[in-house]
Amino acid sequence: MKKIGIYPGCCFQGADLHNYDITTDFLNKMGVEGILLERAACCGGGVIDETNKKIVYGLNARNIALAEEKGVDLYTPCNTCYMIIAKTKLALDSDPELKSKINEILKEEGLEYKGSAKIYHTLNLIRDFIGMDEYKKRIKRKFEGVKVAPYYGCHVLAPNEVALDDPENPTVLQEILKPLGVEVVEGYQNEQTCCGYHARFTDPEQKERLAVKPLDGAKKAGADVVATPCPLCHKAMDGYEEPILQVTQLINVACGSDPKEAFWDLNKTEVKISFS
Amino acid sequence: MEKIKYIAKIKRFNPETKESFWQDFEVEVEDSLTVLELLMYIKDKIDPTLTFRAFCRSAICGSCAMIINGRAGLACKIQAKDKIKNGVIKIEPLHHLPVIRDLVVDQEPAFDKLKKVKPYLVPDPKVVPDNTKVESLVLPEEFARYDKQTDCILCMACYGQCNALEGDEKYLGPFQLTKVFRFIMDTRDGVDVEERIKLAEDHGIWECVQCQMCLAACPKGIKPGDDILELRRIAKDTGEENIATRRAKFWFATVFETGQIDKWHLPEVALGDEKGEAVTKKLEAEFRSRGISEDEFGPKPFPGIEKFRNFIKKLEKEL
Repeated sequence: MKKIGIYPGCCFQGADLHNYDITTDFLNKMGVEGILLERAACCGGGVIDETNKKIVYGLNARNIALAEEKGVDLYTPCNTCYMIIAKTKLALDSDPELKSKINEILKEEGLEYKGSAKIYHTLNLIRDFIGMDEYKKRIKRKFEGVKVAPYYGCHVLAPNEVALDDPENPTVLQEILKPLGVEVVEGYQNEQTCCGYHARFTDPEQKERLAVKPLDGAKKAGADVVATPCPLCHKAMDGYEEPILQVTQLINVACGSDPKEAFWDLNKTEVKISFS
Repeated sequence: MEKIKYIAKIKRFNPETKESFWQDFEVEVEDSLTVLELLMYIKDKIDPTLTFRAFCRSAICGSCAMIINGRAGLACKIQAKDKIKNGVIKIEPLHHLPVIRDLVVDQEPAFDKLKKVKPYLVPDPKVVPDNTKVESLVLPEEFARYDKQTDCILCMACYGQCNALEGDEKYLGPFQLTKVFRFIMDTRDGVDVEERIKLAEDHGIWECVQCQMCLAACPKGIKPGDDILELRRIAKDTGEENIATRRAKFWFATVFETGQIDKWHLPEVALGDEKGEAVTKKLEAEFRSRGISEDEFGPKPFPGIEKFRNFIKKLEKEL
C-alpha cells in the first residue's frame, strides 16, 4: 500500500475538524495509507510573515523534515498550505546556505531537511501519486446530469513557480470531475476571482464582496454546485445562494460514502444533487 | 524559422459605438514572434484599426502590458508560440482600468492612486547633505532592502490582475503599495514611517487578499504581495491597533504556544468586541451540538513543544 504524510494545518481544527475525516476517508477510498505528521506546525498562513518572514521558511522546512523522517511525501488538501510549503521547498532547494542554517537549528529536534519529500495537494496527488487510471477505477457511482462548476482557488495556480498545472489553461480539476459523471461548467463569470478568505480578519467586508462573485457566476452559468479542492475557499464561499463542496466530498460519495459521512450536512447552503 | 498557423482571439472596444467584442484573426506567421510582434503583424497585414500601446519592444518602457490567456504580462516579453492553447491565443486589455480603444487602457486612475502615496523621496536633512558637492551615501546592504522594488517600470500588469481591486475599485493597487515600501526602506527618506503607513492603509494593505497574482504578473520579478506583508508588519509595530494587527499578534502567539493558530479564539481576539465574544460562544455551542470533545475545541501543544518553541526562538535570532 502506498503511504503519504498528512500535513495537519488549521483546516483540520475546531469547526473544521471534519476536514480531517474527509481527508482520511478520501485516502482510504484511494487505497493510500495516510500517516499523520503529528508534530507538524502551522504553515504560517501568510500571517506569520507579518511578524517575521524568515520564521516561515523554518516552520515549513521543519514540516517537510517531519515527512522525510517518516520516509513519506507530504500531502495537504489546503491550497494555501500547499503554496507556502512548496515555496519553502523551492527556496531551500535553491539556497544551500539557508538550508544548512535551518538544518543546524533543526538538529536539536533530531530533524533534517533533505529535500527528498515531494509536496502534494489533492489535485496533483490524484494526477501524479495515485494516477488517473487508478482514481477512475475506484469510482462506484456517478452524479449523472449534475452540473458542477470547478473552482480552483488561487494558491494552486499562483505564483507560477509553484503552480501545479498550467496556470493559463488548468485542466486537472476538470479531469478529476469528469469521471464522476458530472457535466463540467467551464468559462463562467469570475471563475478565477479570489474567494477573499485571507481578508476575513484584515478587512471582513472585502471578503464578503469577493466570496459571492464566483458563486454568482457559476449560478448564472447554470451550475448545481461549485467544486473546489480548497477547504479555505469552501469555508469562505459556503453560506451564499449557490452551494459549494470540496471536490473530495464529491469523490468520497462517488466512491461509496453517504453524503452525511462526507459531511455534506455541515454545509450552510444545502447541496441538492442526486447520484446513482 | 518555421511558419505556424493559429488564431489570435482579441478583445476589442470601439469607443464611438461603445461596443466591446471578441474578434478572431487567423494568422500564419513565423514561430519566433513575440505577442507584440504578432499584434504588429495583424495591424500591418490584416486590420490597421487594431489599437495597442507599445514603444521600446525590450520590456523596459512598460507600455504594452495586457492580459494574455488570462494572465497579465508584457506583450513584448512573451513569445506568442508559448501561449497558443488549442490553436488559440487570447489577448485582452488589462482589467480594472477604463478601456480607451481595443487593448489600450487609460492608466490615469492608477497613476492618481500612485500620487496619493507620495511616490518620491523627501530628503531627510539628517542624512542627505544640503549641497550637491557631497554625495548622499547609501550602503550596499541598505540598498539591498529595496533594490528589487526600484525595478518597477509602472507597466501596471500587477494592477490589471489584482483580486483586491475586483472587490474594491478604490483599492490602491499592488505597485503603489510596493512604492510605499520602497520609500519606507530608503535610508535617505525623511517622511515619518507612520505617515507613509497611514497612506498605505487607506483602501490599501488590509484589503489585499494575498492571492499571489501580482507576483505572477510582474515582468520584473517584483513581489508586491510580499511587500504588502512587510508593510503590514511595519503597521503592526508602529501604527494603531486594529482587527488585522490583533489577528497577526495572536496568530504568532498561539503558533508559538501550541504549534497551531487557535481558530476558536481568533475571531474574538481579532474583532476585540462583544461581537467577537459572541462568535466564540456560538462556535462552542456548535462544537457541543456536533459532539466534538472539549479537547478539540482549539489546538493543544504537541509532545515536545518546548523544543519547538526553542526552534522558533532560534529562527528569530539566527536566521
